[in-house]
Amino acid sequence: MVQTRLGDGSTIEMTEEEIRADIERGVEDATDRANIDSLSEDEIDRLADIYTRPNKFVSVETGNELVLTFDEGSVKLKRLAVSIGRIPDLQLYERAFCSDTAEMAHIDYSYKPIKPIIAEEQIEMEQALLTTVLPVFYGAMPNLSLYSQPDGSFPNPAELLPKGKIKEAQEAYEGMVEHAISDMVFVASKMYEAGADGINFDTTGSAGEPDFLATLRATEILKEKYPDISIEMGMSGEFVLGMHGEIEYDGVNLAGLYPHEQVKLAEKAGADIFGGVVNINSSETIPWNIGRTVTMMKACAEVANIPVHANVGMGVGGVPIVETPPVDSLSRASAALAEVGKLDGL
Amino acid sequence: MSNELFKKAADAICDANVDKAEELAQTALDEGIDPLEMIEKGFTAGINEVGRLFDRGELFLPQLMGCAEAMKQGTAVLQEVAAEQGGDEAEAIKIVLGTVQGDVHDIGKGIVASILEANGIQVFDLGTDVPIEDFIAKAKEVDADIIGTSALLTTTMGENEELLSTLEEENLRDEFKVMVGGGPVTKRFAEKIGADGYAENANEAVTIIREIVG
Amino acid sequence: MVISHALASGMGGVRTAGDLVARMQMTENMRLDEAKEYVAGKLGVDVKELTDPVIMDEVRKELNIGRVQPGAGNAKGMEAKFNVAKLLDIKINSVEKFKSKTS
Repeated sequence: MVQTRLGDGSTIEMTEEEIRADIERGVEDATDRANIDSLSEDEIDRLADIYTRPNKFVSVETGNELVLTFDEGSVKLKRLAVSIGRIPDLQLYERAFCSDTAEMAHIDYSYKPIKPIIAEEQIEMEQALLTTVLPVFYGAMPNLSLYSQPDGSFPNPAELLPKGKIKEAQEAYEGMVEHAISDMVFVASKMYEAGADGINFDTTGSAGEPDFLATLRATEILKEKYPDISIEMGMSGEFVLGMHGEIEYDGVNLAGLYPHEQVKLAEKAGADIFGGVVNINSSETIPWNIGRTVTMMKACAEVANIPVHANVGMGVGGVPIVETPPVDSLSRASAALAEVGKLDGL
Repeated sequence: MSNELFKKAADAICDANVDKAEELAQTALDEGIDPLEMIEKGFTAGINEVGRLFDRGELFLPQLMGCAEAMKQGTAVLQEVAAEQGGDEAEAIKIVLGTVQGDVHDIGKGIVASILEANGIQVFDLGTDVPIEDFIAKAKEVDADIIGTSALLTTTMGENEELLSTLEEENLRDEFKVMVGGGPVTKRFAEKIGADGYAENANEAVTIIREIVG
Repeated sequence: MVISHALASGMGGVRTAGDLVARMQMTENMRLDEAKEYVAGKLGVDVKELTDPVIMDEVRKELNIGRVQPGAGNAKGMEAKFNVAKLLDIKINSVEKFKSKTS
């Protein structure tokens, strides 16, 4: 018997045959949902090998390492109740955690609330850039929900839709998109002008496809304004939730797109790195979850012309939904996505 | 013949065709088909398919609302006759739903509310940032079967434990089933705190609710 | 979580050449293998040596492009980035800003 886990973090034991069968079921679920190619037998064997090893920790073979970007880096230690400023935090990411990039972020991780404090953010970024060598992103979430009541001026679509006020909800979304674009472009411009190496639009699509549209259009505008700006677009879920239902970008309806489809639009808009997401099903096993995660992310990486970095953390990318992800699952997901998923980074 | 009608009824729901759903409901009655059988094998089959498509990203929230309306109107025609016939029409399950205090996330909870309503479950949606006392007061007022909570933050999940403790303290724990959900919430968490149910998504919530209310 | 990822699959940041490979992904959209080959070429090492901290620390010290334990007199922060930009033949935004403010 081999020790593994459920998606909720619970420890379970399975035979090697059961683990392989669950990986296969996960692969099938991914191919069925996203309409993508399956993994080969060799790739499934490789995943089964990674997930049946008795080791507590599994790593890639030398030479198969990839680039690590970490969103929200400069506030994560603060969340651990460590009393630390953002610049020392970034320095720790560089010199202690061996991250390949780092990200400055405000604790209120949305573009809208950063607007009034932008000058302070610029100063902090300028200071950070003097003392770091690695590329530093500035990141936040588009967070379209902040533009509807009670946080914004538009009627709340989440309240309108259940009342059957579909047209009103759609119009609200369309107005919210314009405001979000304006804020994202404003903040990103200022932070780029402060010297940031890149801008991260994180958890894109969390309020559905209008959120995704706002990010795509903000990316387009920024790329036109600053041709050398680097933009990372990180998603919030494996498919784009359809809250409006009729929003298109480049002739494609944005609702319901899976990672291999999302990345093509991100490319079209001008994104430089795409952060794909595959959600965890907490009631299924980790082998099942990694089967579908690797299948979806590999399909995404195969069609992409830009680097693809998968999100691998609490509840995404084959890692259980727990605040302290166990190293057995985390390291295996990390290795599996590098070696079988053939990604460019995490 | 019935099977063909059931299929058409399911299609009417998937197509969000209110007029067709009402027309097919009347056809079923005219042909002497048991109204409850028509609901179960026709309309409910349709709304189950709607839920499945939504879960896969193949159908979107505005369309879902239309499907739910078709379900509501179609079944209303049948339920009225079932009631007149004195059939064993089950009273709708009532759930008081809301996002816990300190948490303002409403999208996921709204989706769950929509899917539940589409499945004939009566939802009393209290919105977001809902204090425990409001959940309980509303549940008492409407004689709810279930209190359902949503929490999207690890920092607000603990409100669920508070809710359960308060229900115990007020000797109301046996009055209402408690179901929990939301991004960081898992079955393991639900079992640990002693909740009655947990669902991975809105579709599963329908099944679990029917199981626990039984 | 950061440390687990770094150990399981990370290139190693400034301990090795991860930051340099990341820059090529960000600025030129290079995929992983292409970015590694480009950086290895510029550093004059084999691709497989890019994640060897012993070799890379020597290379980084020699090229003065920032080290995980920068000694007295070694380029640090912005100084190191000036050398990185030149070495990789790319524009680094903060370096450009620094130049525009100081020259």
